[in-house]
Amino acid sequence: MSKEFVFRGRAWVVGDDIDTDMIYHGSYLPLTDPKEMAKHALEYVPGMEDFVERVQPGDILVTGKNFGCGSSREHAVITLQYNDVAAVIAESFSRIFYRNAVNLGFPILEVPDITEEVETGDELEIDANTGRIRNVTKGIEVRGTSLSGLEKEIMTAGGLFGYLKAELQAEE
Amino acid sequence: MGQTFAQKILARKAGLEEVEPGQIVTVQPDKLLTHDNTAAIAKIFREIGVERVARPEINVIVLDHVVPAATEGHATNHQQIRRFVEEQGITHFYDVGEGICHQVLPEKGHALPGYLIVGSDSHTPTHGAFGAFAAGIGRTEAASVMATGEIWLMVPHSFRVVVKGGLPKGVYSKDIVLYIIGDLGADGADYRSVEFAGPVVEEMSIASRMVLCNMAAEMGAKAGVVEPDEKTRSWLTGRTSADFQEVFADPDATYERVIEYDVTELDPQVARPHTVDNMVPITEVAGIRIDQAFIGTCTNGRLEDFRVAARILRGRRIAPNTRLLILPASREVLLAALADGIIADLVTAGAVVLNPGCGPCLGAHQGVMAPGEVTLSTANRNFKGRMGCKEAEIYLASPAAVAASALTGEIADPREFL
Amino acid sequence: MSGKTIIEKILSEHSGADARAGDRVWADLDLAVVRDFGGPNVVLEYEKQLGDKPVWDPQKIAMTFDYQAPAKVVLVANNQRACRQFAVKHGVPHVFDVNAGIGQHVLLEHGMVLPGGVIIGTDSHMNLLGAVGSFSTGMGTTDVAAGWATGRLWFRVPETIKITFKGEYDYPASAKDLTLFLLSKIDKSKTIYKSLEFYGQPIDSLSLAGRLTLASMVTEMEGKIGFITPNQSILDWIGERAGRSVEAVLPDEDAAYKEEWEFDVSGLEPLIACPDNPDNVKPVREVAGTRVDEVFIGSCTNGRFEDLKVAAEVLQGMGGKVAPHVRLVVTPATTEVAMEAVEAGLYETFIKAGAMVTNQGCSLCTIGHHGVLAEGDVLVSTGNRNFRGKLGKGSQAYLAGPAVAAATAVKGEISLPE
Repeated sequence: MSKEFVFRGRAWVVGDDIDTDMIYHGSYLPLTDPKEMAKHALEYVPGMEDFVERVQPGDILVTGKNFGCGSSREHAVITLQYNDVAAVIAESFSRIFYRNAVNLGFPILEVPDITEEVETGDELEIDANTGRIRNVTKGIEVRGTSLSGLEKEIMTAGGLFGYLKAELQAEE
Repeated sequence: MGQTFAQKILARKAGLEEVEPGQIVTVQPDKLLTHDNTAAIAKIFREIGVERVARPEINVIVLDHVVPAATEGHATNHQQIRRFVEEQGITHFYDVGEGICHQVLPEKGHALPGYLIVGSDSHTPTHGAFGAFAAGIGRTEAASVMATGEIWLMVPHSFRVVVKGGLPKGVYSKDIVLYIIGDLGADGADYRSVEFAGPVVEEMSIASRMVLCNMAAEMGAKAGVVEPDEKTRSWLTGRTSADFQEVFADPDATYERVIEYDVTELDPQVARPHTVDNMVPITEVAGIRIDQAFIGTCTNGRLEDFRVAARILRGRRIAPNTRLLILPASREVLLAALADGIIADLVTAGAVVLNPGCGPCLGAHQGVMAPGEVTLSTANRNFKGRMGCKEAEIYLASPAAVAASALTGEIADPREFL
Repeated sequence: MSGKTIIEKILSEHSGADARAGDRVWADLDLAVVRDFGGPNVVLEYEKQLGDKPVWDPQKIAMTFDYQAPAKVVLVANNQRACRQFAVKHGVPHVFDVNAGIGQHVLLEHGMVLPGGVIIGTDSHMNLLGAVGSFSTGMGTTDVAAGWATGRLWFRVPETIKITFKGEYDYPASAKDLTLFLLSKIDKSKTIYKSLEFYGQPIDSLSLAGRLTLASMVTEMEGKIGFITPNQSILDWIGERAGRSVEAVLPDEDAAYKEEWEFDVSGLEPLIACPDNPDNVKPVREVAGTRVDEVFIGSCTNGRFEDLKVAAEVLQGMGGKVAPHVRLVVTPATTEVAMEAVEAGLYETFIKAGAMVTNQGCSLCTIGHHGVLAEGDVLVSTGNRNFRGKLGKGSQAYLAGPAVAAATAVKGEISLPE
């Protein structure tokens, strides 16, 4: 992941209400090894069954509304992270997915109507600091919510434990 | 010359005056029992090229192994069986929830004295407790019985096991049969028909006799049998309208072995990992830490088993970090235990009461162990990996011993709790 | 400056800051809970980050094993074992093992959930405890591990929507129907991340079970939490269990709400959420007649005694028998519920009707346990999610209240209770 939150990569576009069972099915919940978790990313999203075979490092997932609704499972973030997906851009995120992503330092951006501006395979340039997204393939630019505040601090630290490190060490 | 139980029943089925051990006869079984493996059997059956089951009236199908379905695979398997049942017009079908096939078969009046029963399950000998000749067969054989309605069987040699003496407090039919298996060895009765007799067996309830016959499989026997008596008849009353003819061994029958056991001094027994004949008195293993205590299965999942467990557990609480699993063998058993207040007692003591079925016994769900864990179980097998984990250990004992051990968190002598 | 909403008050109280919607605050936790799902990941993360460092407060950690209880696979058995070992090592006293039931309900029954408290847990339906005015919320493993280490966590103070109901409705409509009604009316893009506060006579008259039903599905509304102000009888119920008197947190009269909505539920009729989304809600009568293969009564949404009682009464009233082609799986939420149901004779009603009553816990709802569906199977469930394929690839699920579920089980097709 780029600590600078600037990425360039190929887009995969999926629809609204992609729930956590689609991202990472409940039957794999007992897994605790992230590499094993990575084998099941998006397996239950219709049309994305072979995602893990086709995804390239740095690819960007573009989704509709309410991405990650459902379970609290952090596996949903980890499975994308361990497939080297660079970021998820969604029209909106479900709250636990949002938190989990922040806490794991996994870049997420909210951009209204993004699925109307991007097709699978388009080349995207993202600057999460400003919320600017350029669709290189289509030659258009859109703006979303920029990364800021506490969430950015946590993500810059590489996640919640990175952020808490100073505090935890100070206690000792 | 006198004939054993096995000779008489097989001769009669074969339409012969008499048969000798080693002789091969072709017979028509009265019942063919299959369970969750019915779909696999149906597949073989179709591969033979046959379309219709020859005698659908003999088929008894009970879904018990993984119920309700624990995975999509199990769900699909059950679905295929339901379709097969419908397509073949099989009427004796018991869907998920009825109980373990070896309990449901007799409860529904399909295990009767003088019957020849074959089943695609190794514990089919259980039905010998009703005076039937009941043997486990393979899937391919089961498919061929479906196709032809017949089966060839070799007339087995027979053992007569005579149990005498007075059964001490805290010692049960499970301890007797574990002791016998320990004595004879896990292959000690290979291919044999084992007749259980003697005053102690005569005194036993039907449930306790089922324990003996069920575990005949663990000494390698083809069949185990207790000849029918008034208890059998009374148990079967109201369960069947079928005609049946009781069969008894001739008093002058020739046995390969006649073995006598006096149980007056018998201690509660425990089978240690990983074979059923790895037997010791419980006093030798008392104190071994257990993670899980399991009372149930086709061996010891009946009312009398839960009664004794409840007697020990009532008003007490199981040990911390110990799980107690209760698995009634059937809907009928569960209802009786509920009516008796036993279920309430067990739950209050900290037990998990599972829905009737095979549950964790075969390691498919509902109580699989972690590596390094130990279960003390009332089941019939303690093979490595049997309960789903190869790095775990299973000890076998009576329901009383398992209940006592759940209280202490270690293998405990039930006599101290009775 | 305007007054505060419930969430602003609770987070102010727990952070020492003047918490206002939109702020990021670090709040003290009253309880950080893991299940057997998520729990092992938390343990691993904790140990990876902090090694042997003692947890912040073992009394404020709870473990509840409800996801797969008892374990179906070695992996889960091992995960549960890892949690138990962590609990022993860190002196965590509150381990509710596989015999306890659904975590949130168990904690509530044990007096560990107080109005105004802040609780996190590895369960997206943690927020159902908003039913008693507690701010409880589902979190990922990193959050909970950090909570175990430090006793506090960052929160984005949500904006609040005040939702007031009016009107009256009669049986067979229930709290579930009110919940589904709300799901069908709201725009999730407005409720996402929001705290909801529920008011009005229809809410005041809900029992604890009904309140839990509504609050449990705030997750499906994409809300962060849904608060129902506990009445005196609920405060007494909690107080008795907690061993201390408890008070409700009320919003200020001039609290600033993002929006205020009012819904009239006069004449509410039984509703059902159709595949594949909880908000795809229709009147039951519109889909009546749809053939079903399985019915599930239970879950953190509708697994209380009251829910089982309604279902048993409908079952009884409609003939007392489940349709032959239907599997009915009934799961009490907790041991306490199970015991009440046993004592009230509900187990007997269900089991005699042909149902399978499983041990307490999440059962079918968390997949992998107790009735997974085959391709093409149709389920009516009292749970809270019907996402595509959640309970078996190629299966379909409808969500309804217990009365409709029971009626459907009897008829074998989606039906209204008679």
